[in-house]
Amino acid sequence: MARRLPVYLVLDTSGSMMGEPIAAVETGVQTLVSALRQDPYALETAYLSVITFDSSAKQVVPLTELTAFQMPSIQANGLTSLGSALSLLANKIDSEVTKTTAETKGDWKPLVFIMTDGGPTDDWQKGLNELKKRRTGMVVACAAGQGADTNVLKQITECVVQLDTADRSTIKAFFKWVSASVSTGSQKVDSGTEMVGLGELPPPPPEVNIVV
Amino acid sequence: MANTVKIKATDGSDVEFVDTVIGAGGMKDVYFSPDKSHVVAFFRDRQDFNAKDRLQNITGVYREKIFNQIGGEYWKDLYCWPTKIVEHNGKLGLVCPTYHKHFFFSTGSINNDFLGIKGKEKEGKWYASAKNQNKFLDPKERGDWFKYFQICINISRAVRRLHAAGLAHSDLSYKNVLLDPTSGKASIIDIDGLVVPGKYPPDVLGTPDFIAPEVIATKHLKMGDAARQLPKITTDRHALAVMIYMYLLYRHPLRGGKVWDTDPAKDEDLSMGAKALFVEHPTDTANRVKVKDLQPSQLPQGDPTKIPYSVCGPYLKKLFDSAFIDGLHNPAARPTADEWEQALLKTVDLMQPCQNPSCWHKWFVFDNTAKPKCPFCGAEYHGQLPVLNLYSSRRAGTFTPDDYRLMVFSEQGLYQWHVNRNISPNEKLTAEQKKRAGYFLFHNNKWLLVNERLNDLEDKTEGKKILIGQFVELTDGKQILLSKEDGGRLIIVQLVANKR
Repeated sequence: MARRLPVYLVLDTSGSMMGEPIAAVETGVQTLVSALRQDPYALETAYLSVITFDSSAKQVVPLTELTAFQMPSIQANGLTSLGSALSLLANKIDSEVTKTTAETKGDWKPLVFIMTDGGPTDDWQKGLNELKKRRTGMVVACAAGQGADTNVLKQITECVVQLDTADRSTIKAFFKWVSASVSTGSQKVDSGTEMVGLGELPPPPPEVNIVV
Repeated sequence: MANTVKIKATDGSDVEFVDTVIGAGGMKDVYFSPDKSHVVAFFRDRQDFNAKDRLQNITGVYREKIFNQIGGEYWKDLYCWPTKIVEHNGKLGLVCPTYHKHFFFSTGSINNDFLGIKGKEKEGKWYASAKNQNKFLDPKERGDWFKYFQICINISRAVRRLHAAGLAHSDLSYKNVLLDPTSGKASIIDIDGLVVPGKYPPDVLGTPDFIAPEVIATKHLKMGDAARQLPKITTDRHALAVMIYMYLLYRHPLRGGKVWDTDPAKDEDLSMGAKALFVEHPTDTANRVKVKDLQPSQLPQGDPTKIPYSVCGPYLKKLFDSAFIDGLHNPAARPTADEWEQALLKTVDLMQPCQNPSCWHKWFVFDNTAKPKCPFCGAEYHGQLPVLNLYSSRRAGTFTPDDYRLMVFSEQGLYQWHVNRNISPNEKLTAEQKKRAGYFLFHNNKWLLVNERLNDLEDKTEGKKILIGQFVELTDGKQILLSKEDGGRLIIVQLVANKR
């Protein structure tokens, strides 16, 4: 009846993101929220959370209704603890996403957008194993710039996209695409039951390349 | 200043557009013509032969079939129909009229438009949701309940015309219908996906909330499998019924509390597909809405025990039963768009303004009781309420009931479609038939019918002709003949009096 659509943004705030990239990410999230607020479907359904990771991972915004969402200022420094971020995400899914039981309709499976510009510096496999035990909807990983390790991302999800450069306009284009992905549209005739592949999402803009 | 691009349409006519993208949809990028009366929308992807052929027919033969006939002008307000095909830089595009100004928010959301939607399109979803209505939309954007009936009439009429031409929209949803609750207008957009039975297969299943159960239940089957169901006229009928239910009641008819599977995606497919069950089914209570699961902003509209679908009156209740009980899993039993249009029109004549000035809905459908009460705010109607029962003659000298009643309120009009059984208030009305024939007035504690254009008006009870410019008082049991022509009606007055 009132299923929520949880959306988790898992964002790299390591030292290499300092300067233009981190500012662009912060603006990108704000743009994303404004766009979703203007979509009557998302406004009714979508809830948003932000998890950042550098030397450690933390949830800077818990799962929040769009109209109450406020993006805190984020800083870039430290390492790239992608593994911790995935573990934290798994924990937050447990505590924040309502499971469907035989009696009660729970939330939709969460959508996850991961953005990173480097290679993980911790045991990412351990975090991934945790996440794999949880029920998620589509997980999209975004390699921001050439320094990101797409091989690792490919093991997290089949849906990997890459930005050629981590500058303001490409990051903006990415978040715009995320917003379009959260809004629903017509279902194509040849789609399956579950949201699995990138084919389920609107075509990414030219700045966002699909990694195959 | 962006360049103006001049190209030729495939029909040889000139087309101009300003080279700045004003919007991007799922498949197309949209540009304005220099005078902003038209848009040119280019498909981002290459279109195959089939798609091209389909668009050729939609802008050509099918458009002409609907628009190039007597009364064709009427449909310009009800559809945003593509008029021409263009090709530019290897991309195929369509020329469409620009949406009317009233389909863009003029105020938007509450708190000085905190959502920033002013100037954006009035997508139907804003209005089909109790939460969006109660929590976000500015009261100036919300309209009253009467306007939602007009919107539903317009949508039913537009769908009826498509179906009469043998076309199925195939993706009717609140995304593809723009509406304006401040004026009661509605317009069907995204016409380029029209399905012509036997000619082009649909490329979309539809939009969640509106896809027919048989389409969802068979979507796992391969294309070409005989059991696979795809969008067609009967699935449009399901979508239309859902849309009318949602615009009048602000909730979904199939989204109740029943859990069919603990996996949300599988549960969605079952509850909208093979196991779909009306939340207000009279005997099968398995899918009742669980009010404790609703958010406060979804109330009271989200709770069918507070506002049951019967508030829409007897004619619509019957059709909702056909659509969501008999026809939910039996496409042939679903009401046609024409039936919806007729039932909505008859229901409008049963509506009364609510006497409570702060009532949000402002109108309600007469509940056929001696103590009429607004089901939304609970205010009782006080005073005399005339109900006119309409009869017409099928054989000289005898009158039989038309199952049609007209509720009277002050300064309400009497029209030709009330006067004559053979006239319907639709696109076929002549200018003469659109003129008011008379009106009702509450004056010195009496209800009067004032004659403006009826030559045969006669008080049968008193045996007295009522000339143009004269009036007749409505008293309980009075018989008034409206017309002696073929199909002409007789009214019998019933006065409901609920004293304070």
